[in-house]
Amino acid sequence: MKILVPVKRVVDFNVKIRVKPDGSGVDLQNVKMSMNPFDEIAVEEALRLKEAGKAEEVVVVSIGPAKAEETLRTALAMGADRAILVETDDAVEPLAVAKILKAVGEAEQPGLILLGKQAIDDDCNQTGQMLAALLGWGQGTFASKVELASDAVTVTREVDGGLQTVSLRLPAVVTTDLRLNEPRYASLPNIMRAKKKPLDRRTPADFGVATAARLRILRTEEPARRMAGVKVGSVAELVDRLRTEAGVL
Amino acid sequence: MFVTETHEQVRDMARQFADEVIRPVAIDLDRDERFPGEIFEQMGDLGLFGIGVPEALGGPGFDTLAYALVMEELSRGYASVADQCGLVELISTLLVRHGTPEQQAQWLKPVMSARTKVAYCLTEAEAGSDLSGLRTTADRDGAGWKLNGGKIWIHNAPVADIGFVLARTDRNAGHRGMSIFIVDLNAKGVERGPKEHKMGQRASQVGALNFSDVTLPPEALLGEEGRGFHMMMSVLDKGRVGIGSLAVGIGQAGLEAALDYAQQRKQFNARIADFQGVQWLLADMAKDIEAARLLVQSAAVKIDRGENATKACSMAKCFAGDMAVARTADAVQIFGGSGYIRGFEVERLYRDAKITQIYEGTNQIQRMIIARELVKHGARG
Ligand SMILES: Cc1cc2nc3c(=O)[nH]c(=O)nc-3n(C[C@H](O)[C@H](O)[C@H](O)COP(=O)(O)OP(=O)(O)OC[C@H]3O[C@@H](n4cnc5c(N)ncnc54)[C@H](O)[C@@H]3O)c2cc1C
Repeated sequence: MKILVPVKRVVDFNVKIRVKPDGSGVDLQNVKMSMNPFDEIAVEEALRLKEAGKAEEVVVVSIGPAKAEETLRTALAMGADRAILVETDDAVEPLAVAKILKAVGEAEQPGLILLGKQAIDDDCNQTGQMLAALLGWGQGTFASKVELASDAVTVTREVDGGLQTVSLRLPAVVTTDLRLNEPRYASLPNIMRAKKKPLDRRTPADFGVATAARLRILRTEEPARRMAGVKVGSVAELVDRLRTEAGVL
Repeated sequence: MFVTETHEQVRDMARQFADEVIRPVAIDLDRDERFPGEIFEQMGDLGLFGIGVPEALGGPGFDTLAYALVMEELSRGYASVADQCGLVELISTLLVRHGTPEQQAQWLKPVMSARTKVAYCLTEAEAGSDLSGLRTTADRDGAGWKLNGGKIWIHNAPVADIGFVLARTDRNAGHRGMSIFIVDLNAKGVERGPKEHKMGQRASQVGALNFSDVTLPPEALLGEEGRGFHMMMSVLDKGRVGIGSLAVGIGQAGLEAALDYAQQRKQFNARIADFQGVQWLLADMAKDIEAARLLVQSAAVKIDRGENATKACSMAKCFAGDMAVARTADAVQIFGGSGYIRGFEVERLYRDAKITQIYEGTNQIQRMIIARELVKHGARG
């Protein structure tokens, strides 16, 4: 079986985000970029399934700027077999990404598409669901456990009330949650080998998909600054101020 | 500046490993003087030992610049861990350059996996900066040799499985009468001294080795007989890039800790980072760390281009070592009294920094080399 893992290049989770002065978005100049952490978990899971003999090939795909090649090389260094870069400088939205992934899926015919539940830049949490709908495949979102058989996948989902287990006929789409696994470090020999692994370059036009924006961003703001605390003299004063000033009692 | 995308990948991986695995336990390893074998085995599995060993010989096949980047990041986690990486790099470079195919097949893999622990044995009681005082001897004995003598301050001596030992094979030939032997340190006639208690890099196990009539088989000889001194010296260029990087890593850790503290600590109703007196300490730390980093990286690139790198490597090691000592002292200063107390990272960093001016050739010896190269090749050479 082949597993397809879409990965996105996003601002590194350690970076302190700055909003552009005109409020049109987040400043990406000279900012460290990395693989979306949920996608790293998806790559790790695919590799573990391959190592367990449940899959033969792990193919990673990224839709984004030329620099997204770095993200793909990181996935290859973790152990993925080959990569596809669908290159575009447009800011891609979930629907366009899902349409491109549908076309890639139809061309590659994977048994399973494993992807992050959301990207930490826009937190949309839509791509996996849209992709499953476009393909007409079953979906198991927010996975904290994935068990793959030859014709079905059992997914334990992290839902509000606790855990829910679903069984999906293959092919299927599964999105990963934080607790699914802990991604490995890329070893030095694998970083070296990744340089020589195949990387196929495509464009959205190759798949007949237009990436022009459908969403309009009105404004981007930093979260309000936390106010300094105050010291109160007594419990009575605390209760009084909670009631009169904070209005929480 | 010199760093490619692949180098960045290597650096990011080492940085993440240092942040997650090494730095959190550095303080315990220092306090307990404990050899972190489990971290070393994990590093072995990730290819962090023997970084320059070619792919054909089972290594990752990276250049000296990648080695420098890894050393800085590991050291930012804890210098003792980086020093183990440096030690294995020296030994594996010797094996790659001078080992027979049989010696490479026997030793490279176990050494890179960190399951076989190694020692690099030059220094003796009478032979420190000046190795012409070397007294350890290997005399012909049938097809092999008999080893006699003693080494001191040998990193890994208390735990190592094999030692690469410099010994005299011809008492009358000076530097041309020394050879290197791969010695089984569990063999009869090898005696280990106790573990030394050191000022810094306390997780590194350092001690003495004594040899009395240790039988060496013919295949113990590494490379050509009589070329041992030159072979040991030939890997020191790379070794100095390694120690320079290690010093930069210590400095960087100090800057990070000091910057963080200066933005939190309040006196006179202000963050101490708002006082110019503290700002100038931080600025000097940052600029000297960056200068040392660039010297080290340019020396690494010189080695990788096959240029004569002797002066560049000595300048990098010397500058970076002096920088690390001076700038971790500044980090302690910024922490005030806390900086002098065990348990604060900067207190350890200051102690860990000092040895970078002493081992891999003292900084006086580095200046001697720089001056000698200047006289030989001129001001621009
Ligand atoms: C923690 C630690 C780990 C070590 N690990 C190893 C190891 O793994 N393997 C190994 O072989 N050795 C190791 N060493 C030994 C180390 O390399 C030596 O200590 C170092 O080379 C200096 O030699 P020395 O101590 O004999 O000092 P000396 O050579 O006696 O020097 C004393 C002082 O005189 C100065 N000096 C000497 N000659 C000159 C000169 N011509 N001009 C100006 N100044 C001069 C020196 O710079 C120094 O300041 C280690 C030492 C330590 C402390």
